[in-house]
Amino acid sequence: MKIRTTTKTFMPVALFLAAIATAAVSGQEASNAVKAVQLTGMPGVKANAKGILSVENGNLHFVHGKAISDVSASVIQDVVSGSDSQKSVGKTVGAISMAAPYGGGRVLSLFRSKIDTLTVEYRDADGAFHGAIFTMPLGTAELIKRELIAQGAHTTAPVEQAGSPHSSSSTAPNKEQKQ
Amino acid sequence: MKHVRKVGVFLFLSALFSSGSALWAGKEHSPKISTSAIQVDIIQSDETPVPTEFKVALYENLIGQLEKRGFQHVYREGDRNALSATDLVVLHSTVQRFKPGSEKAREVTTVAGATSISVHCQFTNAEGQPLLEQDVTGKVRFFGGNLRATYDFAKKASRIAYENFPPTNRK
Repeated sequence: MKIRTTTKTFMPVALFLAAIATAAVSGQEASNAVKAVQLTGMPGVKANAKGILSVENGNLHFVHGKAISDVSASVIQDVVSGSDSQKSVGKTVGAISMAAPYGGGRVLSLFRSKIDTLTVEYRDADGAFHGAIFTMPLGTAELIKRELIAQGAHTTAPVEQAGSPHSSSSTAPNKEQKQ
Repeated sequence: MKHVRKVGVFLFLSALFSSGSALWAGKEHSPKISTSAIQVDIIQSDETPVPTEFKVALYENLIGQLEKRGFQHVYREGDRNALSATDLVVLHSTVQRFKPGSEKAREVTTVAGATSISVHCQFTNAEGQPLLEQDVTGKVRFFGGNLRATYDFAKKASRIAYENFPPTNRK
């Protein structure tokens, strides 16, 4: 009788905990998808296309409108993350501001936001070499890189430990030079 | 007075001769070999450290610009289909100088912060015999991101390829 009561009490608790664990795992998968801009290199995607970049089922997955492009992690020869910066003020407003008298519009150029870059080098079925470059919000490139390596991609640059301050590639990063 | 006239005639003739010979020599050094297929090798930068995104952008922009120029086949490095091409020209590129520059400095000052990249381009045939060698520089001085220098390089390099190895059957 006691055993039945214990089972009845703990069964919903166990189910509740299992549901929380499942939600946490699926939430983690969804959080890997990041907003990115594909500068060049993905097959069938135009340059400077905005979309969602994720790692799914062993593929680097980029969705831009109706166009979907996949690159298998196993054919990726190198993944390198880097950092760059971009204008905080939009292109149209930035262009209009250039007309401001006494070069006042240039002040807007001083406001810049940091972004991450992700460069991927891979070979297609014919053995041809391709390279793709993405820009994405700060701190997200390393997550995608780590995920790709876990799924079989190779890299020449060491993967940073989680929680370490963000920085970048094996070669000199594309940082803005202080002048 | 006579002496001055003689010197003038001599100078004129020598100038004419030297410019003619220079033009003739220029013609001799520009082999016009028609080709339908060109292969682009991976950008090398053994001595000059260049960020990976710059190397990839140089390579991808170069392929894009060569396709625009009307070459029937533009092969990437390692493409097995290139083996069947009979009149293949291979483009080897090595970065010689790289100045990262700064987009911020360019936009604020308009005189500082230029990004420039100098690449040594060597065109060879499929057997590796050199056909043409030239240095090409890509720059961005005023507007645009640092990677735009790679687009500038690609445009210039593709023009050299087009002028020296005109495509046989344009797309």
